[in-house]
Amino acid sequence: MTGMKTFLMPDRRRFLKTAGAAITASLAAPYVVRAQERILYVNTWGGPWEAAAKTHLIDPFTAETGIQVKTVSPVSFAKLAQQVKTGTYEFDVTTLGGGELVRANQAGIIEDLKEPYKGGLFENGVASHAFATVMAWRTDKYKETPKTWADFWNVEKFPGGRSLQRYASRVIPIALLADGVAVKDLYPLDVDRAFKSLDKIKKHIRVWWTAGAQSTQILRDGEVDMIGIWHGRYFEAEKAGAPVAMTWNQGEIERAYWVVAKKTPNLENARKFVEFATSAKPLAGFSKAADYGALNPASNQFVTAEDAKRMPTSPDNYKLTFEQNMANFGIDPAELAERFEEWVAS
Amino acid sequence: MGMSLSKLTEKTNIWPWLLLAPLGIYMLIFFVVPLAEVAIMSFTEPKVSLANYQKVLTGALYQRVFLNTFMTAAFVTLCCLLVGYPLAYLMAHSKPRTAMLILLLVTMSFWTSFLVRTYSWMVLLGNNGPLIAFLQMMGVDKPPQLLFTRFSSTLAMVHILAPYMIMNIYTVMKKIDPALIRSAESLGARGWSLFRHVYLPLTAPGIANGSVLVFVICLGFYVTPVLLGSPREQMIAGLIGHQIEEFLAFGLGSAMAIILLVVTLIILTIYHRRFGLDKLWG
Amino acid sequence: MNTFMRWAGFVVVLFIAAPLVIVVPMSFSNASSLQFPPPGYWLGYYRAYFTSVDWLIPTWNSILIATATTILTMALVVPATFALVRHKFRGKGFADLMMLMPMAVPHIVMAVGYYSYFGDLGLVHSHLGVILAHTCLSVPIAFLVLSANLKGFDRNLERAAQSLGASPAKTFLHVTLPILRPGLVISSLFAFIQSFDETVVAIFISGRDAETLPRKMFDSIRQEADPVIAVISTLLFFVVLIGIAAPYFASALRSRAPKPSRPAGAH
Repeated sequence: MTGMKTFLMPDRRRFLKTAGAAITASLAAPYVVRAQERILYVNTWGGPWEAAAKTHLIDPFTAETGIQVKTVSPVSFAKLAQQVKTGTYEFDVTTLGGGELVRANQAGIIEDLKEPYKGGLFENGVASHAFATVMAWRTDKYKETPKTWADFWNVEKFPGGRSLQRYASRVIPIALLADGVAVKDLYPLDVDRAFKSLDKIKKHIRVWWTAGAQSTQILRDGEVDMIGIWHGRYFEAEKAGAPVAMTWNQGEIERAYWVVAKKTPNLENARKFVEFATSAKPLAGFSKAADYGALNPASNQFVTAEDAKRMPTSPDNYKLTFEQNMANFGIDPAELAERFEEWVAS
Repeated sequence: MGMSLSKLTEKTNIWPWLLLAPLGIYMLIFFVVPLAEVAIMSFTEPKVSLANYQKVLTGALYQRVFLNTFMTAAFVTLCCLLVGYPLAYLMAHSKPRTAMLILLLVTMSFWTSFLVRTYSWMVLLGNNGPLIAFLQMMGVDKPPQLLFTRFSSTLAMVHILAPYMIMNIYTVMKKIDPALIRSAESLGARGWSLFRHVYLPLTAPGIANGSVLVFVICLGFYVTPVLLGSPREQMIAGLIGHQIEEFLAFGLGSAMAIILLVVTLIILTIYHRRFGLDKLWG
Repeated sequence: MNTFMRWAGFVVVLFIAAPLVIVVPMSFSNASSLQFPPPGYWLGYYRAYFTSVDWLIPTWNSILIATATTILTMALVVPATFALVRHKFRGKGFADLMMLMPMAVPHIVMAVGYYSYFGDLGLVHSHLGVILAHTCLSVPIAFLVLSANLKGFDRNLERAAQSLGASPAKTFLHVTLPILRPGLVISSLFAFIQSFDETVVAIFISGRDAETLPRKMFDSIRQEADPVIAVISTLLFFVVLIGIAAPYFASALRSRAPKPSRPAGAH
């Protein structure tokens, strides 16, 4: 019984000592970190994306410049806007897709950048790499192989739960393809037609995914049977041994850009990081690790044909895909995003 | 020779104010002002107008979300009652040991973070979870999708809020005098009629208490519907969060927040008039 | 009727218990997904939790914030409760009601307010901001518990002490406080838990530097359903279990133990 008593009521002095140490440590932790001179915070997509960025972009950058880098995830456009409004910065550098980049530059929430390599600057974002939104599905669910987005929309032939990203400018072109629009006629986008098409699939979309890791999880765990997913995230589910397959056909290629948050106190270091991350060799390493297509042409000398097989930009894959055309988009991405959100919620 | 404490406290009028002042000032700065800011933003963001309210009160999306929120809260309250009443009854009319074990369980549930409970329902209802496996074992070929539906978020909310209902009803049941029931029986009341005409009315205050509490908490529920529900069946809190986090639409979000607040306060005021607000949680 | 109610009651017991218990086996699962029953068992996710700064820092933040919140809450609430319970004055009814208000306002409404207000004050993403907000939310529960205790307080004890010549300060220190101790402990505990579990306001304002455990769990559930959540859930489950069961257990032990009969001459 004495044993029980000490178990329930541990020696008070020892308890206080441990608790005291823990509290001191926790009090100190954030300040110890903050005290280190001007850490650069980079906003990432987390998971394998971040792992690849850490090995090939962040660690070499720190080694070369001595600037400490920490990461925050996931990428959030709203956060970027919010921190400019409040002046409290959660991150200094982030990565955006084309649609968001246009929105951000219009809203004046990103810093002006210089062109680091020829053709590398668009709307104050530095082009980094290409990624694709592709169609993937559970092979334990479907015997026949779906081939196009029209098949994705065809719930009679391929019954089951669907998922797409909660991201207007990425979903609209897909909805048009599913409705039978040819790739060459996609842009400028016929938004009304796209929403009519989306109406047809809406009640079968079980999850509008918002983070990369989430898309992997719901595909891997079979929470949905067919999904529009980034190719890198698909490979992760495949690697986890899930019965899944994908097609490059009608894959939607987009460019990812590095941007710097407006008025960040870390402006100089942030610019340095963006320049470093899009320079030939680091970008090549990152692209190979995460299966992205490097957009700096100088990176290609480091990428072999074998490496490129799982990249959307390899010749074999690229010819099956199509590229987002932000220059001839046909609608203001911010306006589209708002309409899309109302549609999703209704 | 000190003045006695009781004299101090009963005769001097400045004391209560001195004791109250720190908290009063604190609440003014960190409770009233932020609330006022929400109210102000609802009229001024992005510019001074009633546009936010007009949009929220007339827009089809917002009307649907408000309606959905009310229906969900009402339904969850009803389910909590159906779930809570038998359990409270079991607790009130079992041997002390059984009653204590159940009480322990309900208390456990009450004190377990609702994030944990939300996560548990994700496991239970997932496509690889036990419920689907059970259905398949029973020969259901195509088990329905349970997770990320209205069903999953409602179920989880019932589970999370049921302890409030149970505790409220149990407290009342515990106080019922068994002699009262016996005398009703001796007058010939049996079974259903005994329950309806004697037992149920006696437990009504507990039901009222629990229902108000569950309904009001459910109206403003954010986490569980966001994590387990479907975006088509959003509740008002989720939509407020989304407007602010994704669109920085502070004006619109604030207008919705104020409407939610007003509705909540109206319900609580009615309750306060009849029973007194301090009874609600105690 | 009676049998029906009993059976229904037992079904409900199952409904209440299942979600509480299921996290325990899940936390030992070696699956990377939400698979149940787990394909195999290991301790890998426990190791992941106890070695990952991503989880430990939010845990520390939560403990720190809840501790500071408790201290601040009690410092404000104790004097106020004395004022409200022991004095009659104009506006007391209103003050009583105001104490409960933070409980009546949905947290999402407060979250919007703090997000904007603390943004202006430069308090978002800071420990201080979360502590200040949580203190507000903890006031009502601490007040309810404490005022119930204080109302049941027999003031004759204080009068007796004073009639024996104790100064008001001494009376307070040696009579009032010790008697109120259980009430003080319980209301502190409630304030602590209120802060430790608070999610919605933390999601909006705790940010990168003051990220609390519930916020981290929320993000993690939303993004990837990280199995580490099962580990944390299990740990929290046992903390609550011990917290609740310990008093019962202790009293059961005490009542079962034979009455201590002191042998003569042992002292």
